[in-house]
Amino acid sequence: MPQSVREYTGAIRDTVKSFWHGLSITLSYLARRPTTVQYPDRTPLPVRDMLPPRYRGFLEVDNTICTGCQACERACPIGCIQITLEKDPTNPKQRLVAQFDIDESRCMFCGLCVEPCPTGAIQHTREFEGTHRYIRNLVFRWADPMNPFPVYKVDKTAEYFPRAPLGSLVRQRLETLAWDRPAPEFLPPEPPKPAAAKPAPALKAAPAPTAAAPAAKPAAAAPAAAEAPKAPAANPESK
Amino acid sequence: MDKLILRRVDQSNEEMILNFGPQHPSTHGVINFLVETDGEVLKRAIPDVGYLHRSIEKIGEIVGYPGFMPYTDRVDYVAAMFANEGYAMAVERLLKLEVPARAQWLRVIANEFCRIASHLVGVGTMTMDIGAFTPFLHGVREREVINDLIEALCGARMTYNYHRIGGVAFDLPEGWRDKALAFLDHFDKFLGEFDRLISFNEIFVKRLANVAVIPGPMAVNYGLVGPNLRGSGVDWDVRRDMPYGAYPNFKFDVPIGKGFFGTTGDCFDRYYVRCLEMAQSSRIIRQALETLPEGEISAKVPRNIKPEAGEALARVESARGEMAYYVVSDGTNKAYRVRVRTGSFSAMCIIEDVSRGLMVADLVALISSLDVIAPEIDR
Repeated sequence: MPQSVREYTGAIRDTVKSFWHGLSITLSYLARRPTTVQYPDRTPLPVRDMLPPRYRGFLEVDNTICTGCQACERACPIGCIQITLEKDPTNPKQRLVAQFDIDESRCMFCGLCVEPCPTGAIQHTREFEGTHRYIRNLVFRWADPMNPFPVYKVDKTAEYFPRAPLGSLVRQRLETLAWDRPAPEFLPPEPPKPAAAKPAPALKAAPAPTAAAPAAKPAAAAPAAAEAPKAPAANPESK
Repeated sequence: MDKLILRRVDQSNEEMILNFGPQHPSTHGVINFLVETDGEVLKRAIPDVGYLHRSIEKIGEIVGYPGFMPYTDRVDYVAAMFANEGYAMAVERLLKLEVPARAQWLRVIANEFCRIASHLVGVGTMTMDIGAFTPFLHGVREREVINDLIEALCGARMTYNYHRIGGVAFDLPEGWRDKALAFLDHFDKFLGEFDRLISFNEIFVKRLANVAVIPGPMAVNYGLVGPNLRGSGVDWDVRRDMPYGAYPNFKFDVPIGKGFFGTTGDCFDRYYVRCLEMAQSSRIIRQALETLPEGEISAKVPRNIKPEAGEALARVESARGEMAYYVVSDGTNKAYRVRVRTGSFSAMCIIEDVSRGLMVADLVALISSLDVIAPEIDR
């Protein structure tokens, strides 16, 4: 509490003085160019081209140089990569990648899968604009289950591996596929419900029916139990 | 335990029990306080933690050693570098790895940039809680440049995942050093401007000086760490007193609170210690960039990490104080137990004692001066 008139007016003077100090700085910024940029239409370049090259965006797999070693699958801490290998029926020595699914909606973009890749087939791109109406559309299938691709044989003397330009494959997918296209159906069709009808079986039943349905491919790539209550434990088919 | 049971409220007075949070804008995340008030004066404020518990420590027992690294980003998302480094150091001690010198230096550079970014958010949100919005934008503007630098370094703006067991993930990109030095030149001027803008503002000082005083012994008893402890006048910094990494090679001061405008250990001291620490961080980065040695950025680490059975503790000086990782290995490729000790949790404990007799508006100043981050409290 001020004891005298002098102290009282002094406090007012100090306040106004320090107030003016701060305000003068604020006013000096009024005349400068703003630091903010309106997204997305006022940027000088598309934002993905302004990002640094190490940016960790959507994962991209070039299946022409994928060796099918599954190192990325083992390195992923959340298990959002699912790879299935099978033998070529015509050539028993050739292995085929029948399934290479990356659930981008679960990916946390940590970059641990990129490091062990021997050929650089799996890479982070600078793509990040992947809005989709249905979250199951974010499961990117890099191998066609109907038409599996053969694994790449690493040439020990090779200087580099012929990779498609980074980002071109993901961009092609994101641009050609409509953001609000319908979500994929589940395969195989829903198994008949058990007699004891529980009120909400989807969440509880998710781990068990993988064993119960041997026709299903091993270990659902995206259980998606939370957002797909009507289809317990089945694989998404994003075709 | 019976401290937490609410007292019967005297209806004849103006006593009330109110919920402060969990969605209150000035609680810095999802923290709930049960506030017993008598009119405008607090009887006490009881922090009710646990809204952001994500069982990160349990996840550490399920994913392997390298796989836990991205999860440590989520322990403290404003200063994720330190959480990375603490975990990496703990596992390196289990593996008895020697980290190359260049990796140590790169760790220091990344850490100190992260400390500046975190303190900018800390002091910025503090001024915003007190009622000044402009300084927050100034702080965030500077932080944005740091974010861009770190993004160019490791590819992400918040969840860096830059440290690896045995080193770091990336070397400096081309031209990064010049950009960093240019920013630091600008930043040193910015700190003076920030002081004129808000730190020595008369109203701001009056709001913070002599408010919620935490004396040094009390801070030690409650286990406060980092800037909160140093604000109370206790001279303790893990970087200097228990040197790790490359820190013994750099000269820096440890600013402590001296009662700049009032009592030692008031809100202003805790605030201003952070401002002074940013200048020291800038000094450390300059020295580190000057003396950056050549060499490997990562030690030779087996792909399948299987440490011998044992335990290791690593302490780092995070932006929110001392952060400790305790990792127990049972000889398999997954940790038997991972434990994180963070500074925000102990900062929450002290609120109940300090808040007695405060005004409701001063509680906001107290919480923001402790610079708690909600995910770090619960993990």
